Amino acid sequence: MSSALPPLAAAGPILVAAILLALGHHLPRRSADIVAVLTALAVVGLGVLMATRTGNGALLHWFGGWSPRDGLPIGIAFQADLAGSAMVALVGLLFAASFVFAWGFFEEVGVQFHVLMLVFMAAMCGFCLTRDLFNLFVWFEVMSVAAFALTAYRLEASALEGALNFTVTNSLGSLMMLAGIGLLYARLGRLDMLALGEEAARAAGDPVIPGAFCLLAAALLIKGATVPFHLWLADAHAVAPSPVSMVFSGAMVAMGVFGLARLTWTIFAPVAEVTAALHAVILWLGAAAAVLGGMLCLGQRHVKRMLAFSTVSHTGILLMGVALLSAEGLAGTLAYLVGHGLVKGALFALAGVLMARLGGIDEIGLRGRGREIWPAGLAFAAGGLLLAGLPVGLMEEGTKLLDAAAGSEPYPWVILAVPIGAGLTGAAVLRATGRIFLGWGEVKGEEEHAPSEDEAEKANRPLPLMLAPVVAMLLLAALLPAHLAAEVAQHAATGMMQPGITPASVSGGEVPQHLPLGLLGLGLALLIAGWHLGRSRLPTLLSEGVEAVSAPVFAGLERLHSGLIGDELAWILAGLALLSLGIWFA
Amino acid sequence: MSPRARGILATLAALALAPGALAVLRAMPAFGDHPLPYGDAVNRIAPAERIVSNMVTAVNFDLRGFDTLGEEVMLLAAVVGTVVVLRGSRGEGVGDRPATCGDRPIPPRSEAVVLLCRIIAPLTLLYGLYVVLHAQLTPGGGFQGGAIIGSGLLLVWVGEGYNAWRRLVPGVVLHALEGGGAGLYALMGFGAMLTGAAFLTNVLPLGEWGSILSGGVIPVVNFGVGLAVSGAFGMLFLEFLEETREPKDGEEP
Repeated sequence: MSSALPPLAAAGPILVAAILLALGHHLPRRSADIVAVLTALAVVGLGVLMATRTGNGALLHWFGGWSPRDGLPIGIAFQADLAGSAMVALVGLLFAASFVFAWGFFEEVGVQFHVLMLVFMAAMCGFCLTRDLFNLFVWFEVMSVAAFALTAYRLEASALEGALNFTVTNSLGSLMMLAGIGLLYARLGRLDMLALGEEAARAAGDPVIPGAFCLLAAALLIKGATVPFHLWLADAHAVAPSPVSMVFSGAMVAMGVFGLARLTWTIFAPVAEVTAALHAVILWLGAAAAVLGGMLCLGQRHVKRMLAFSTVSHTGILLMGVALLSAEGLAGTLAYLVGHGLVKGALFALAGVLMARLGGIDEIGLRGRGREIWPAGLAFAAGGLLLAGLPVGLMEEGTKLLDAAAGSEPYPWVILAVPIGAGLTGAAVLRATGRIFLGWGEVKGEEEHAPSEDEAEKANRPLPLMLAPVVAMLLLAALLPAHLAAEVAQHAATGMMQPGITPASVSGGEVPQHLPLGLLGLGLALLIAGWHLGRSRLPTLLSEGVEAVSAPVFAGLERLHSGLIGDELAWILAGLALLSLGIWFA
Repeated sequence: MSPRARGILATLAALALAPGALAVLRAMPAFGDHPLPYGDAVNRIAPAERIVSNMVTAVNFDLRGFDTLGEEVMLLAAVVGTVVVLRGSRGEGVGDRPATCGDRPIPPRSEAVVLLCRIIAPLTLLYGLYVVLHAQLTPGGGFQGGAIIGSGLLLVWVGEGYNAWRRLVPGVVLHALEGGGAGLYALMGFGAMLTGAAFLTNVLPLGEWGSILSGGVIPVVNFGVGLAVSGAFGMLFLEFLEETREPKDGEEP
């Protein structure tokens, strides 16, 4: 169905950004803040409106009116399906929250922050809606360029290092993506993704297509921060200003997963080698990311770095749903993605509250100092519980769908990575809540002092203004009616999967057995958080025994995250090799 | 990781990648033997339906014009990002004035350099404008011409010095060029939608073959790109050329 709505999501914010930049010096103070919030809210409205109109099929828009000639696509199309429209709404929501949270935060650079953020938002919307592979790359790249500058904004040594690692690794990802697109275009002569899918189905056995998949997948997995492509993420997300980290962890990382799902289901689903490799390698990479990310998260005391690793863990979970290659798995990923984006955005905003109000971000250094801002503590605890798997809302629905999808796997227990990852990350956040806001979990000795100097952010905003978007996001993630979420997610997933190119059946016909994954994760989180906070009261033998076993493991994991750019690139190469081995052996 | 471990990991990974890469390379089409359905289609469509003689421009600004909006925005984001990063520590307030370091020596320019720059800078700017305006006819276009205009601005700096350059080319104007250029592009897209057509549809009269006004919307959006690129390069130079370098030891002010 042809529609005029899809281009507005990308071109609208661009026009606003251009006008802001051109007139920036003549606008009254705060007007940029207001315009930015309104634009983001308009994008939310547009996403919802498009989603409600996808009932009779996706909304199609051929730019410039260049619809295909004689079956050959010559122009670019936006195709807003339910999943893409919902992503647009999520992106708009996260940016609106971030703009409200950042009210007046970036005064020094005038309108430039808003220009960058609006362009960033437009790029994400374009990325979710486009049907053209090269256009996808354009938005991918705009996203990266805006993100690099936003990371480096504070211009301290750590911010510059983090931004540089981010820039180098993600630029390598862009190069790989461009190379992959080049291979596909050279072989199939199309850039329209649906046309590419048709051509790919005809070109069975051609090694170029799986080769292109390796490169494209590696690029998207770098963006999606999957083990072992993830090393840049903690460096970048931890140093970016909090309002920026909100959209990084809430939306940008999810773009990698969403992009992979999009490419899989429009181009590569009919290529048996690719789906086999996706299932064999990426499912287990996702599980590994969920568990390792959770362990790394638990090992941090810098709250933003902790949240960054929890993003690695949860993105791993999202990726598992894509790699399960079924409608239920994809639906689980989509529901979980939205829920996680909202919760993680709220948690990064709360980390920003700590930096603005308490002038620090070190969990142990801030012990007990959060009592004066107790409402933030309540929100922090709620975020931790939701991450761990509190059985309400979007993440719970997503988990259920993932569980159902994994029931027909040859190794259904792989799904246990979900509660482990969720439990470990939830434990870390709950532990931080207990320490900072309740003063529990005293640490004796030299560890009591923060290893680095205090990091503070500008405290020029009232607490209620900072907490309002947090509360809104948490409520939305927790209280959205479950059956509605599940139904929409399943519609969105089937809409993303192009008819006629469904891969081999995955359902064995049995009713899959449901595990209470949410409760498992929650139990694990409470257990670990309780252990950490109450360790000083436990018998020394027990406490030190566990410490002696676990400490070297955590220290070893931490040592791998050296922040050295050479290490990060070597691991990316190793990940690419793993994907390619998966193609040849799966 | 130690450099040794890193080397081993990278070597192993490269070895594991080698067979796959070789298989892809061997399956590539032979040199010169390349069916390009898209290129053929463009060669058929663009001259007939858009009256332009530069096919690259037809693809960039019409057939796939939406990509170019994204690319223009990418450049804009890169430059705004650079400004944010470089200016972040100094603050927006000083952005309007040239920053200088009091004790820093600024060697006087030789008269030959000044004369040369005064001759070639206007010529370069003029040539840049020519390249921008003839996008749909001859090789070139907004991106290339904008970059040439940017180098013309740099010649003004070489000849006149930083302070004079800042007076001639105010930052506010550069921002207006950048934003205005991108805005013009997006507005042309929305303008087409107002007539009921798709975004960026070529709704203007197409003109005559070989005319500087041929191509309908193409020269307009291309001019927008030219504006944005010249503004962007000017802004980059403005931020990078700030004379805030500390004097070196032994350097006389």
